[in-house]
Amino acid sequence: MAATFFGEVVKAPCRAGTEDQEEEEEGRRETAEDREVRRQLARKREVRLFRRQTKTSLEVSLLEKYPCSKFIIAIGNNAVAFLSSFVMNSGVWEEVGCAKLWNEWCRTTDKTHLSPAEAFCVFYHLKSSPSVLLCQCSCYVAEDQQYQWLEKVFGSCARKNMQVTLLTCRHVTDYKTSESISSLHSPFLKALKTQNFKEPPCCSLLEQPNIVHDLPAAVLSYCQVWKIPAVLYLCFTDVMKLDLITVEAFKPILSSRSLKGLVKNIPQSTDILKKLLTTNEIQSNIYT
Amino acid sequence: MASRYDRAITVFSPDGHLFQVEYAQEAVKKGSTAVGIRGTDIVVLGVEKKSVAKLQDERTVRKICALDDHVCMAFAGLTADARVVINRARVECQSYKLTVEDPVTVEYITRFIATLKQKYTQSNGRRPFGISALIVGFDDDGIPRLYQTDPSGTYHAWKANAIGRSAKTVREFLEKNYTDDVIANDSEAIKLAIRALLEVVQSGGKNIELAIIRRNQPLKMFSAREIELQVTEIEKEKEEAEKKKSKKTT
Repeated sequence: MAATFFGEVVKAPCRAGTEDQEEEEEGRRETAEDREVRRQLARKREVRLFRRQTKTSLEVSLLEKYPCSKFIIAIGNNAVAFLSSFVMNSGVWEEVGCAKLWNEWCRTTDKTHLSPAEAFCVFYHLKSSPSVLLCQCSCYVAEDQQYQWLEKVFGSCARKNMQVTLLTCRHVTDYKTSESISSLHSPFLKALKTQNFKEPPCCSLLEQPNIVHDLPAAVLSYCQVWKIPAVLYLCFTDVMKLDLITVEAFKPILSSRSLKGLVKNIPQSTDILKKLLTTNEIQSNIYT
Repeated sequence: MASRYDRAITVFSPDGHLFQVEYAQEAVKKGSTAVGIRGTDIVVLGVEKKSVAKLQDERTVRKICALDDHVCMAFAGLTADARVVINRARVECQSYKLTVEDPVTVEYITRFIATLKQKYTQSNGRRPFGISALIVGFDDDGIPRLYQTDPSGTYHAWKANAIGRSAKTVREFLEKNYTDDVIANDSEAIKLAIRALLEVVQSGGKNIELAIIRRNQPLKMFSAREIELQVTEIEKEKEEAEKKKSKKTT
């Protein structure tokens, strides 16, 4: 027993063990009901990969069915908007798969026409060059689902002759630096690459002690383990919702080898981006 | 570790920062750009208009507000905070006029606003105002004034300045292009304000709002048509300048 600052008595756990230990253990033993609930939850949280047009699920991993030499993954709405306006408008892209997953922060939809405001994870390949694969992921993939996502997309064996490019955003308050906040001009780009990625990145590397989180970290770790050349371009921004200036901060990547051949019409891309932003704009009067 | 010193406004961090005030300055950067220019016989305020929803009454989304007949201000940052500050300033202008029988000087009302803002950086339970303001006007002595205040409660006089998003870009443009010749001419001063805004405004003249005060004249808000005319003139001048440049090189 312990008394808190406010005088209430709280039962504190005793490491020496008490007489009540056996009773407590009985209470903690799992019942069949607990196991069933756990099973149902695991089933609900499963990551499923399927084709929206045929509604059939993929039996093998995505990269096994569609081997590629270039895999570009955009995670987050600003990265997705960047690829939609600058890469996907120059060429015909065919949808090859869609990931459906559920977690407390997102319920992905499997409608055929997706608005920028919805959560989704869709895979495309370039019709004229099917070895280029693109992923638009605007949903949050929870920690327990990341391994499943990697298995369903990459599979569990090494991929040869493939290069992975990841794009994502993070809030500038997560950026750790010894400089003062006022000297940071966000949005700005930082890169983190695997050992096998030999090209010079399009921006400066992410300094220590900054770390990468969530799905981008999982993909980079996978690529590092399987010796796949991969680079993550991380945009630190102060506006996490869809924003023109944040999306345009990704522009230096257009000169990288993986994206160079895919981008054709930049002025048109800027118009497409503006349209995308106006359709998605939620009228906010907080700031004037 | 910023997080231990930024919860309460009244706490200094070990290295002397008041984090809440610095964060309030970040809120200012979320507002659209406003630029102020002090000419010889004119003061100009230009703002980037926010896009208005279809069903919204445009007149209620104003960034330039008159504080008195001879003083007006533009702000950037939290709309609600601006409304409170503007109301207090307007009341103060009238109270001063009734007490002293003279209109406020631009410096007086700026100091009032700045003092109000500073009070909110030193009270517990309150947060700073998340706005910066550009205050312009003419004093009784006929001298044009431009002041800028920020959430910390400081105020300074400027020849030309910008606040809000992309303020840095606009300020750099002003530093390069603000000359005594330009500001001596009223229409050149107006054009300078519009050119500075066009550096950062996305869709040109239709997203710009402009207000001027000339000596012994009331505040004048430019209509959309007048701004379009100015923008067309500026584009013509730009084309002519480029033609001259290409002729010189050939």
